[in-house]
Formats: sequence, structure tokens, C-alpha cells
Amino acid sequence: MEGDIGVVGAGIGAGLAAIGAGLGIGRLAASALESMARQPEAAGDIRGNMILTAALVEGVALFGEVICLLVVL
Amino acid sequence: MQLATNTGKSIIYAFLFWLISFFPQALFASENQAGGEEEEPIADIIKHHVADNHDWHIFDIPKGDSGYMAVAIHLPWFFYEPGKGFQFFGSTEAVAESNDYVIAHDNVYKVKGKSLIKSEELERLAAASPAEYKFEINNIKYIRIEGGEYMILDSEAGLLDFSITKTSLHIFFICLLLFFVFTAVAKGYRNNEGKAPSGIQSFFEPVILFVKTDIVQPYLGKKTDKYMPYMLTLFFFIFFSNLFGLVPWNSNIAGNTSVTAALAMLTFLLTMTATNKHYWQHIFWFPGVPVLIRVLIMLPIEVLGIFTKPFALAIRLFANISGGHFMVLALVCLIFIMGENGKNMGAAMGIAPMSYLFTVFIYFLELLVAGIQAYVFALLSAVFISQAMEGGHEESH
Repeated sequence: MEGDIGVVGAGIGAGLAAIGAGLGIGRLAASALESMARQPEAAGDIRGNMILTAALVEGVALFGEVICLLVVL
Repeated sequence: MQLATNTGKSIIYAFLFWLISFFPQALFASENQAGGEEEEPIADIIKHHVADNHDWHIFDIPKGDSGYMAVAIHLPWFFYEPGKGFQFFGSTEAVAESNDYVIAHDNVYKVKGKSLIKSEELERLAAASPAEYKFEINNIKYIRIEGGEYMILDSEAGLLDFSITKTSLHIFFICLLLFFVFTAVAKGYRNNEGKAPSGIQSFFEPVILFVKTDIVQPYLGKKTDKYMPYMLTLFFFIFFSNLFGLVPWNSNIAGNTSVTAALAMLTFLLTMTATNKHYWQHIFWFPGVPVLIRVLIMLPIEVLGIFTKPFALAIRLFANISGGHFMVLALVCLIFIMGENGKNMGAAMGIAPMSYLFTVFIYFLELLVAGIQAYVFALLSAVFISQAMEGGHEESH
């Protein structure tokens, strides 16, 4: 029974981590696209920084996902 | 002295034997007893495919109604036992036939004799914690081997496992590939000096220039040339091993925590060698902040920050690459879950096209991820190194 609840917890945790990463990267991409539209000449710089920041946001979410994976395995 | 010569000889014998035995003889089939009734859980199948292993399992041949033949390359076991020197065994079976060693859960253990033990107390302990396979009663350690039997573990022997596993074999392959590809590229630059690039050189030149101008130069500026060899190695090693891992049968090299931890450790060491006074000042005595906050908040955060950066690098690469492999395997396994292992063929046939399309989609996504992760790892390494050697110019503005 304990194991079953652990699996449910891991599933919910993985979903929450995905929601967090989705919100973060979504806001990031929205602002980046807006700034690229306003200043197309700076698009290259913005894109580079966007990927860098997206990687940082994603990194935190992946910590959560890895912990959920460890609970299940 | 005797020990030293024996050790040296063991290494040479081990290496020669491994070379001789590897290709012609190691490819042999072994029988497995996987019957129709006892099905392996899907999670275990996925874990088996993603994890590192001492066998390079290629495919299974169905054999009659009740089993299959596994065709696999058995990689050798090679470990060090303190006081006895290096031990070498050609395959997992050879270890199982030896007198002193036993393999459980892909680890090698030394046992006191190969006699099997049965006791009710052990059964009770095993039933209480099904995931455990090592038990201790009255200071005697027991290990459960396949088939649910127990042996007495020799806890004195701290075996160090140096075996060439599937992942390390594939890493050697990637290293060889990188060596041949990039010596050819370098030769191109020597031969075509002042001329347009040709052949493989013209394929890699834009990528190398991309690494230089888009990844390293914006952050490292004048020091770019000093760090270019490391960054190029990092980028192409991760990129090649990610692509290599997408080919069926191959190990997902960067989906192994040890590999990514080693890569992150290299970046960490380079960051540490690049540090200057300002870096350490910002860690231990953050300027422009009240003293209490400096000591209570900034100091612990900054000290932790030294280690979380490489840790995050390792986890990011590992989670991205193994995540993709989990997705592909889960989508393929969906057919077998729906089909209830052959009992419900209709459902299996129904889900198969969907599963196939999603797998192809994930594969294309993984091609993208293979490049992006190599890019991000190299980029963040450049950022961390540049942060460590920033001058004191932030205070002025």
C-alpha cells in the first residue's frame, strides 16, 4: 500500500514540475518573442539569452523530475 | 614485490584476453527462462534498457513457446581485490562459475564459499523489504542471488570494479570516432591553407565556427583561444554521443549520471583554475551588502552556488537524454501493455500506429535535444568559467 501512494506522489510531483517549467519557459518565450518583434536587429542576442535562461529554468524542473523518477524506480 | 608483478601480469593478460576473446567468441547466445506466465514489469524492462550493463544485449530469438534466446556480447568483468590483485573473468557466466565471486544486481561480490543457504529468518527479512538484496543477521551478511537463494557475503573484501561496461565501451568508440574525424578536419586545414575548405572539413567548419563565435567568444572574449580546445571537445563529445545513443542497440552515454558527473567535474575544475580575487571576494565577503546579511545569507548561498552549478549541469544533461529514451521505450511498451502480452491482439494492433507515430515524433524531438543539450552544456560551461574570471568592473557602475 505504501508503495502505491509513493507512485501517486511521484506522478503528481512530475506533473507539478512540468507545470512549473511550462509556466516559466512560456513567460520567457513570450517576453523574448515580444522583444524580438520590437527590436528585430537584436533578435540574435535575445535568442541566445533566451536559450540560456530556458536551460536554467528547465534545469530546476528536471531536478524535480529526477527526484520523482527516483521515487518510482 | 610478488604482488606487484602478479598485478602487472594480470593487467596484460586481462587486456590481451579481452582483445582476443571479444569479437570472435563473445557473441554467443544464452538461454533464458522467461516463460509466458512470469512477465517482467514494464518499468523493469525500461530500466534495463536505459541503465548501464555488463552485457551488450542485441536482440532475442524466440525459441519454442516458452522462452527466447538472448543474443548478446558478454563484456568481461575486471575488478581489483585488495591483497589478491586484479581478477579477470570473460563474462558474467564465468564469474558465476568461479568459486569466490557472485554477481547480483549488476555488481560483483565476494562470497564465503558457494554454498546456498536457506533460512526462514532470511525469507522473512526479504518479504519485509522486496527491493533489498543484502541482509544482515548477527553480524553475518547474506546476499540474495537469482532464484531466491542466499550466500554468505565476505564483507572484508572491498572489490573495486574496473570492468568495461556497455557505456564505457561506447565511450571508447566515440573517442575513436572523434579522433579520426577531427584529425581528418585538421589535416584539411593543413593541406588547404589559403584555399576553400574541402570534404569533411567544409562540413565541420561552420559548426566549429558556431561554437567559437556563438558559444565561447561572447563570454570569454580575449581568452577564447585558450578554452576553445576544451569547449570543442565538450560540444562534439556530447553531440556525437547523443546522436550515437539514438541508434538502436547503443547505450545512451549522456543518460548515465557518472558520465555527466565526470563532464561537469571537468568544467568545475576549469572554473576553479580560472578563479581570481574578485570571485572569492564575492563568495566570502559580498561587497555592498550589510554585514549581517553578508554572513547569514550571502555566504551560505554563494558557497552552495559553487557546487550547485556543476551539479545542475550534470543533472540537466542526464535528465534530458534519459528522459527522451524513457519516452521512446514507454511509447513502444504501450503496445505490449495494451495487448496484455499477446492476449488482446486487437488492442495491440490498434495502438501500434499511434505508438509508432509518437515514437517518430519523439525521435525528431530527440535529434533537436541532442544538439541543444550539447550547445547548452558548452554555453553554460563558458558562462561559469567567465563568471569565475570576471574583473572588478561591476562595482564601478
